[in-house]
Amino acid sequence: MDTLKVRDAKDVEEVVRAAIASEQPLEIIGHGSKRAIGHAMATNAVLDVSALNAITAYEPNELIVTLQAGAPLADVLSMIDAKNQQFAFEPMNTAQLLGTPALGTIGGMIAAGLAGPRRIKAGGARDHLLGAHAVSGFGDSFKTGGKVVKNVTGYDLCKLLAGSWGTLSVMTEVTLKVMPKPEAERTLLLRGLDDAAANKAMTAALGSPFDVSGAAHLPKSAFRTRTDGLGDIPGQGEELTVLRLEGITASAAHRAGSLRELLAPFGTATLVEDIASATLWATIRDVLPFAADGALGAWSVWRIVCPPASGAALGTLLARETGGDVIYDWGGGLIWAALPPKSDAHAPSVRQRANAVGGHATLIRAAEDIRRDVDVFHPQAAGIAALSERVRASFDPKTILNRGRLTRGAAA
Amino acid sequence: MAIMMPASDQTVLARRAEIVTALRAIVPGEGVIDSAAEMRAYESDGLTAYRQPPMVVVLPDTTEQVSLVLKYCAQHGIKVVPRGSGTSLSGGALPLEDGVLLGLGKFKRIREIDFDNRAVVTEPGVTNLAISQAVAHAGFYYAPDPSSQIACSIGGNVAENSGGVHCLKYGMTTNNVLGCEIVLMSGEILRIGGKSAENPGYDLMGVITGSEGLLGVITEITVRILQKPETARALMVGFAQVEAAGECVARIIGAGIIPGGMEMMDKPAIHAAEAFVHAGYPLDVEALLIIELDGPKIEVDELITRVETIANACGSTTCQISTSEAERNLFWAGRKAAFPAVGRISPDYLCMDGTIPRGALPKALARIRELSEKYQLGCANVFHAGDGNLHPLILYDANKPGEIERAEAFGADILRACVEFGGVLTGEHGVGIEKRDLMPEMFSEIDLNQQQRLKCAFDAQGLLNPGKVFPTLHRCAELGRMHVHAGKLAFPDIPRF
Repeated sequence: MDTLKVRDAKDVEEVVRAAIASEQPLEIIGHGSKRAIGHAMATNAVLDVSALNAITAYEPNELIVTLQAGAPLADVLSMIDAKNQQFAFEPMNTAQLLGTPALGTIGGMIAAGLAGPRRIKAGGARDHLLGAHAVSGFGDSFKTGGKVVKNVTGYDLCKLLAGSWGTLSVMTEVTLKVMPKPEAERTLLLRGLDDAAANKAMTAALGSPFDVSGAAHLPKSAFRTRTDGLGDIPGQGEELTVLRLEGITASAAHRAGSLRELLAPFGTATLVEDIASATLWATIRDVLPFAADGALGAWSVWRIVCPPASGAALGTLLARETGGDVIYDWGGGLIWAALPPKSDAHAPSVRQRANAVGGHATLIRAAEDIRRDVDVFHPQAAGIAALSERVRASFDPKTILNRGRLTRGAAA
Repeated sequence: MAIMMPASDQTVLARRAEIVTALRAIVPGEGVIDSAAEMRAYESDGLTAYRQPPMVVVLPDTTEQVSLVLKYCAQHGIKVVPRGSGTSLSGGALPLEDGVLLGLGKFKRIREIDFDNRAVVTEPGVTNLAISQAVAHAGFYYAPDPSSQIACSIGGNVAENSGGVHCLKYGMTTNNVLGCEIVLMSGEILRIGGKSAENPGYDLMGVITGSEGLLGVITEITVRILQKPETARALMVGFAQVEAAGECVARIIGAGIIPGGMEMMDKPAIHAAEAFVHAGYPLDVEALLIIELDGPKIEVDELITRVETIANACGSTTCQISTSEAERNLFWAGRKAAFPAVGRISPDYLCMDGTIPRGALPKALARIRELSEKYQLGCANVFHAGDGNLHPLILYDANKPGEIERAEAFGADILRACVEFGGVLTGEHGVGIEKRDLMPEMFSEIDLNQQQRLKCAFDAQGLLNPGKVFPTLHRCAELGRMHVHAGKLAFPDIPRF
């Protein structure tokens, strides 16, 4: 299979136009770090954007950074970190969960749209993408959005590009919002709560005025394997419910005190500060207890998004029904479920449980043969599915880009 | 009228009586208005320079009725203009002579308040402020706060992706909406999202938000609500030069401080506001900043000190810090009344809405001064300085021949300058008809064609709110045509592996 390493947007146009003419669909990749997510594709060539890796402009005072889509995420993160800034949505690093070496590119980060724990406060990738240049499936370069935070000029096509898994357009350059890093972080730890009580504690915390920026629950079983990300935290054999407060030092400390009082009915919370807290949240963000090289590495992993107050009931039932493990983030609104090997990855149980509460589930990690028979992305109601297909076709009528990634059976 | 609307369909107009009867069968009673006198209330929105009575007004009160009205109109090739409270400042709800004006004013019930999931499910006709009021007893509020929040509807907020003073810290409508029920032009009713943080598949909610009523008619919305910050305090800082005020804004952001709100007014705006509300604004300064910090008291107190230090370092000539809610509200009173205050000093004014990079503020102000000279029209400036969103208010007198045209040309030049400085045509008011013909300043034909293709995915006949946003309308079949370029996967000069 040909791999075409494009050098600029013109190259992308040329490759896409030729692919249209010859009716040969393209797989779009950066570093390929998330290539194992989705269905096997019916593509005959690879369009590799990793050489489109320039940092076009970084303007810390404007809180924006403009980058080519192939810019390595690791480099960009260290560049903005040096100015004490960050992507507030805490992009997930999928490398350890999927067992892939690279961290990935900016384009991949946006196309996958996998936000971390701070999503409950700061939004997702879609909320931080201000503008984009991209090549559509018509082979035309177009731009959408701009380089300012406040902009309602024309349709907000950025929202569609974020989380589109490369099926609408090939992004070539993007402008993202960056935010100041908080001066301090404090994490409150509650021990020994069952899922239902933990969900209640997280709901109380998120319904408080203390500006909680992370709310997660790790049941006891989440520690059956590796716990290295939790190095300094004692008592890992117990359930852990964790709540994060960030901001200027005095404020984070003050709010941690107030929140501890509010949560007294759930037990006495202990405090973890700064680096230890950051390590803990990176562990949760990257779902390290389910890492590919850990004891559950052979299990399928689902990412279930649901109304936050429904999380515990859904997760508890699912774990009981399948003998699997769950981790809760987003105050219960995000459930990572590692489920024991089964040919259908327990899809009927997962989807039925998710549907029952108005949630949805994505099969993030599973062997290729499982992904052949199971829908990786959540099946949608007929009307929404039809509209989504019309939207897709409005960008890429010949289905040239990542054909088959989102829907089962295209590669057959 | 300087803006051309799509030509009226005479065959539709000829069937008006028949259409009114058919609509009455769908929406019985007083829900269909066809008398010229009663329709007058609907002939314009917040952009009052443009007026056009619709063919007929329909005020449905169920989703089913909305669906049947749209289905009927789609089947008979009749244009439809949706309308919420009619507060659009860009003419988004301007009726069409041959179109049905579909008012959502009867959808005014909050359907569900769910504190555990921090969400409110509401009908689109509910006002922005009413949502905050409905959850205030539990300490919650809905964050986006456009100046018209007493009157503007949440449905209109979604259509326009409305902002407000606090969106620097809390985001615009798009960052605070979770899901909706939407009726497509075909009459099809769809539900998107709900109380989850993210929706599966393409982010349809994201692209519907800010689509200015061109993609569908929203009949229910789920928004997220937040706990109110513990406290808020404001600083009112005066500067002898606009540049110094701009520098102060940049340094505050550069120091990692994101205020709840950060507003700037120039001298004409300060004077107009002070004469109107007597907020105690200093009259001898060129620029005034109102900076609000919110959060826990301990944080607000500390940040107030930091901001004060930055302001002093930037050469502020006056600095007052609120010590009570009454004082904070007084600081804001002048800013919030800036539009009516300007209305007192000028018979008419045009409110512009461009965004520029924060760093371009002094440059933009200098340009506006030059243009003010050129067009011989006054201009008062209020800005959401924190996010670079300018609201120049161009003063004119509609009774003087040629002044409206001069004011519009002045406004267009300001917006062109915004794009030139790296910004955009509209930060929060929408394109509507007002900035429609300026779209090519910012977007190429290819960019606009891609946007119109998306429109085709929702409304292939182009019947929903035509004449808004896009300067040139294309048929969907034409937009969908693929220009196949000859060639195979050859690319002699592209590196391959």
